[in-house]
Amino acid sequence: MENCKLQQKFECCFQDWINQQNQDLEELLQALSLNKDDDDENFQQLAAKGIKHFEDYTDKRALLAKHDAPSLLCPPWCTCFENAFLWIGGCRPSLSIRLVYSLCGAELNIDTGTADHLSAASSSPLIESQGNLADISSNQLHLINSLHLKTIKAEGKLSDRMASLQEEIADDPLAMIAKRARQVGESSQSVDEVLQGHSVALGCILVDADKLRLSTVKELFSILTPLQNADLLAASKKLHLSMREWGKRREQQMRDQCEMITGDQEEEINK
Amino acid sequence: MAGLCRGANIGGETETAKPVEPSSQSARRRRMEIHQFRFVASDTAVAPPLESGRRKRQRLGSADVPSGRACDNAVQNSIVDERKIPAGPGSEKDADSNKCCPSISSSSSEIKPAVELASDVPKFGMTSVCGRRRDMEDAVSIHPSFSREVPESSTDLHFYGVFDGHGCSHVAMKCKDRMHEIVKDELERVGENDSWENKMKRSFSRMDEEVTQWSTAVGITSPCRCELRTPQCDAVGSTAVVAVVTPDKIIISNCGDSRAVLGRDGKAVPLSVDHKPDRPDELERIQEAGGRVIYWDGARVLGVLAMSRAIGDNYLKPYVISEPEVTVIDRTDEDDCLILATDGLWDVVSNETACGVARMCLQSLKPPSPVRSPGNQDATTISAARESSDKACSDASILLTKLALARHSTDNVSVVVIDLRKNRS
Repeated sequence: MENCKLQQKFECCFQDWINQQNQDLEELLQALSLNKDDDDENFQQLAAKGIKHFEDYTDKRALLAKHDAPSLLCPPWCTCFENAFLWIGGCRPSLSIRLVYSLCGAELNIDTGTADHLSAASSSPLIESQGNLADISSNQLHLINSLHLKTIKAEGKLSDRMASLQEEIADDPLAMIAKRARQVGESSQSVDEVLQGHSVALGCILVDADKLRLSTVKELFSILTPLQNADLLAASKKLHLSMREWGKRREQQMRDQCEMITGDQEEEINK
Repeated sequence: MAGLCRGANIGGETETAKPVEPSSQSARRRRMEIHQFRFVASDTAVAPPLESGRRKRQRLGSADVPSGRACDNAVQNSIVDERKIPAGPGSEKDADSNKCCPSISSSSSEIKPAVELASDVPKFGMTSVCGRRRDMEDAVSIHPSFSREVPESSTDLHFYGVFDGHGCSHVAMKCKDRMHEIVKDELERVGENDSWENKMKRSFSRMDEEVTQWSTAVGITSPCRCELRTPQCDAVGSTAVVAVVTPDKIIISNCGDSRAVLGRDGKAVPLSVDHKPDRPDELERIQEAGGRVIYWDGARVLGVLAMSRAIGDNYLKPYVISEPEVTVIDRTDEDDCLILATDGLWDVVSNETACGVARMCLQSLKPPSPVRSPGNQDATTISAARESSDKACSDASILLTKLALARHSTDNVSVVVIDLRKNRS
């Protein structure tokens, strides 16, 4: 009963976050569609709000992680497609930078199909400034690149910590307790304590991973212009929410397919 | 760089060199190690000519040449002999950064406006990003006026190098740190009157030896991911494409699959041919040496390395060699720009497109008319023109990088664009 309530709390926290994101996204898209120019203040506010919301969410997660970190790392309320792509309970921090690169490329208003086209167009739209992510300046790109390298390094360190923790399963005391037990899965107080210890350690890594996610976004936002921030925030929220919906759809499709497969076919798959 | 620049300009403007807080912008730029070419710091503009014979602009004739690492970006910074400036906190700091730079022992009192003198120093733009990879193994090294053609001549030589490491980044980094010094050393050997080709070949050979010795030396620490542990660090190498630009020539030395392309009269002239293992002559060379090219995700030497020449890669010798192919080409009035880049660009952008983009950027940002800086004296306007030229190159390099990203380049992307146009007004 107690456990059930906790589980609900976890799911609520996540659902609130999803709802919040939907709301924020709508606001962002509206602002972006209305005015692209003199609206820096508004964009900046929206970006700051987005970050604030994420910060609040990570604060809540940090609290929940003390109770049950494993369910944050492999949340039962997410689709298994989403979970399969999680990195320590969320997206990879470097994902935001990768997103900047792909948006920067996609928004680049340039058709370079032929060189002729290029040399012919002396007053090309290429130089025209739109203020979006395609207009990332040389200075910004250098800063983003440094942030990228720093983030990858930090990710590596967290991944290493995760690896150590995972390997500790095969170490004393869990491995020895399991070996000595008369029955598989025999429970004892010491086992519970060790498992709780692992769970807490997992929670610490999760909290640090969330911190890295937050700090990366914050630093990235300090490099980009308000419009670029709004642009990036909208794109990343849209991507996150879409992944969720696609994951759900895929899960449904897999379920439907499973029902259609006969025993024979299953056998074939098993081969 | 900014500090150096400021120190120099302060010296040029007032007799007392006083400490200057770098603006946050320039401080930031320095922090981020941006190797952006700048003629002068934007707020100092071109220092007015000065009567004092104590210091001089580096590009004045009849002076010994400043050399070494400190000349990195030195030209535009109007290096002065720090030892001759009345000591002040500012100059002290600068002198420190100038340590390896021999003094400019000048006695010339004839000072011309720097602008006129600096006109043959090509402007450049550089971008180097990790891109869609998780390791940064590219390195770029740019040293304007790193050497002079013959001792006592006033002809400056400029060095541009792009290095794309594989296995780890340490060979590329070593090339970045050392290649220009080795080339300079080879070029300035007294009594040597050898061909460009031989000088460059010797330089590459020495670079390769240095890398090999360095990585097998005991007790050195390296911040790179292989931490120089053998045998991993034996399987590390780097491409190298090096351009030495003189007032009338371009010398390209290439080893590996980075590339140099010249934009001339709207056309793309490749100045290097990628060293791929399936290039017929390279294939023959490898086979003659007893090696094999195996197709495993493309043609690879012994099924491992996807290029036939590289600095380093000790374990693949003698099949993979460090000898460069050297191209010497005369500069003409039709030359627009020189592009050096790693395969992160060339994999997805053709030579023609790259030159087209660069040319467009250079043309679209013409040096501004004097109206651009109202209320200021000529010097400011001229410096603005310089900056816009740098900006054009920088725009070109960043645009090419973005284009590579847009076309889903999965590698590190490094691009150097050098403005070769003469008589820009």
